[in-house]
Amino acid sequence: MKKAITAALSSALSAALLLTACGGGASSSSGSTSGSTPAATSGSSKDPVTLRVAWWGGQSRHDYTLKVIDLYMKKNPNVKIETEYAAFDDYWKKLAPQAAAGGLPDVIQMDISYLTQYGGRGQLEDLDPYIKKGTIHTGDINENSLSGGKVDGKLVALNLGSNALQATVDPQMLKDAGVTLKQDWTFADWEEIGAKLKAKGKMIAADLRHDVYFPFYLRGKGQKMYAADGTSLGYSDDKPFVEFYTMYKKWYDSGYLLPLDKLSQKKGTPEDSELVMGNAASSNGWSNQYILEAAAAKRPVDLVPVPGWSQNKALFLKPSMYFSVAKSSKQKEEAAKFIDFFLNDIEANKIIKGERGVPVSSKVKEALMPDLTPEQKKVFEYVSWAEKNSSPMDPPNPVGAVEVDKLLKDTVEQILYKKISVEEGAAKFRKEANAILAKNKK
Amino acid sequence: MTKLRENDNLVGYVFASPFILGFLIFTVYPIFSSLYYSFTDYNLFEAPRWIGFDNYDKMFTGDDKYWKSIKVTFTYVLGSVPLRLAFALAVAMMLNKAVKGIGLYRSAYYLPSLIGGSVAVSIMWTQIFGDKGLLNSALGLIGIHTETSWIGSPGTAIWTLIALSVWQFGSSMLIFLAGLKNIPASYYEAASVDGAGGVRKFFQITLPLLSPIILFNLIMQTISAFMTFTPAYIISRGEGGPLDSTLLYSLYLYRRAFQFYEMGYASAMAWVMLILIGLIALVLFQTSKYWVHYETKGGR
Repeated sequence: MKKAITAALSSALSAALLLTACGGGASSSSGSTSGSTPAATSGSSKDPVTLRVAWWGGQSRHDYTLKVIDLYMKKNPNVKIETEYAAFDDYWKKLAPQAAAGGLPDVIQMDISYLTQYGGRGQLEDLDPYIKKGTIHTGDINENSLSGGKVDGKLVALNLGSNALQATVDPQMLKDAGVTLKQDWTFADWEEIGAKLKAKGKMIAADLRHDVYFPFYLRGKGQKMYAADGTSLGYSDDKPFVEFYTMYKKWYDSGYLLPLDKLSQKKGTPEDSELVMGNAASSNGWSNQYILEAAAAKRPVDLVPVPGWSQNKALFLKPSMYFSVAKSSKQKEEAAKFIDFFLNDIEANKIIKGERGVPVSSKVKEALMPDLTPEQKKVFEYVSWAEKNSSPMDPPNPVGAVEVDKLLKDTVEQILYKKISVEEGAAKFRKEANAILAKNKK
Repeated sequence: MTKLRENDNLVGYVFASPFILGFLIFTVYPIFSSLYYSFTDYNLFEAPRWIGFDNYDKMFTGDDKYWKSIKVTFTYVLGSVPLRLAFALAVAMMLNKAVKGIGLYRSAYYLPSLIGGSVAVSIMWTQIFGDKGLLNSALGLIGIHTETSWIGSPGTAIWTLIALSVWQFGSSMLIFLAGLKNIPASYYEAASVDGAGGVRKFFQITLPLLSPIILFNLIMQTISAFMTFTPAYIISRGEGGPLDSTLLYSLYLYRRAFQFYEMGYASAMAWVMLILIGLIALVLFQTSKYWVHYETKGGR
């Protein structure tokens, strides 16, 4: 048994070593300070400061983020930034022990599914005072874009960009199958299109991610995945679960989706997507993912709303990711300044180009427009369309949601492998999820 | 005189202190703190909260996945250990012959064990047993066309892990080889004179004389099989899927600890595993007197 723990510890250690090695690359580039704006550095001491900045992502995100950080260090020669980055899963495995040891990075990229975990347990700094002081400028940011970073009424995370659910489609493949897309397509239309594609030997999509699309379907029915206080699921009637997964099972059994044994081996990279490989006519994800997928496809693809969005305005804008400041940080002022730079600096955002979601600052959005590629422009336009055609986002997931997501995935697998019926699955999921969430009762 | 001897000891302790300190800090302390955590609810963010035997209670009575992981682990151990030992012994006997280039063969067969439990091999395994993998291509050559992913199907996934374990037979094979070399050739000659055939020789001479080594390998391999983690983690991407068919005990423990942040529950699981492995090793030792043959004492 010790071996598992040793393995876990040693992998954490090697990840740490790797990350610090990466961190070494971002050395402070002192020198040319002529271009620095006086506003960015005014009012603060010029004492040397070391900031630790952490994020998750793929290679392209790492590359441009390092460039943004270099730019920041050029403008603020007294600041030296150490970087820590990893893939999504590894990132969280490393952050938890750091939190336990009181050694979180100063600036932490935060995800909505972990926000309550960290924010609700006092690991993150309240950023409101820094906004009032003017360290972080939010004048060009819509209040709705900010509110998604609140936990228990405190703003503990700043939204880096907005996302909306989208469907990437292959217009040629749809045309070949004799399909014309409606703007307000429903899941019933989806099923019909699935059948037409199947006849041509294609799939409609690899899958629909359960932790995203089941809550989305619930929204369409006017229900919520989680109760407001986070101690139980938000619904008590299994009907929507049974409806959605009866449909889903039908799609699966009819071969409109990718078989589970193949799905489980997917690496999750754009190149590995069934749409990109030419086997599926659509792929479902967040709007910022469209750009990478379109680039990988190397043939014309298009961005359309997700099926079912028009039912009860199920669509919503979601913060793609946030930056937070650790409560344990000794450089909170400097950390807040870095976040401000990331949000508001035009030059920095010309490097970022909305890869972390469409920028929340209207000024930045405007400034970027002329430089965008056609694909990036589609994303920006889609998000502003979605802004007008959606309802407010649900509150951040409660503690335990990560386990509930896994439970949902396991339950649906059991249904699709015909180990249990949809009705049994619905009841089992509700009972076990409620047991997990009941731990939040104080 | 006594004083001087004490000083001698002191010097010894000073020189041994790096190990002693390391042992105390990195082994003894974690063991006992894990015992303490196993009686608490601890999520890494807040201080541990004492809950007595609740973790153990939940484990045995309220956690289906726990029992599933026990079942998967026993399937894995009972499947992989005998196969691996049989394979190791068979190869050891083949390599115990005076053939040209035998050194090369021995190194080649040992090689998989060197790179054994590594991440790279597990990734390679997913390529071999995937839907467009080597195995399906090979089957295609003999006319069996299939697109199943052996690693992604609930019925076969655990067997790909067992196959991986059997493939890493090298270290037990080397130990068997050393054991075989220790059996005097005169025994076989005498048996031949008495008219014994190959099978007879194997069961009457080789196996009894090799039994202490079989016991050693059996215990070592059983313990390490119970602790297998890396291949299942890589192949199922940390989830133990599909349908929990590769949810080895250590993987489930890891999930509880590092994905759901339940350090208390994970510590309790670790202690149960420790006791379980201890018991199984004890049982193997106890039964050994019925089948292990020692030339010096005559066994039973």
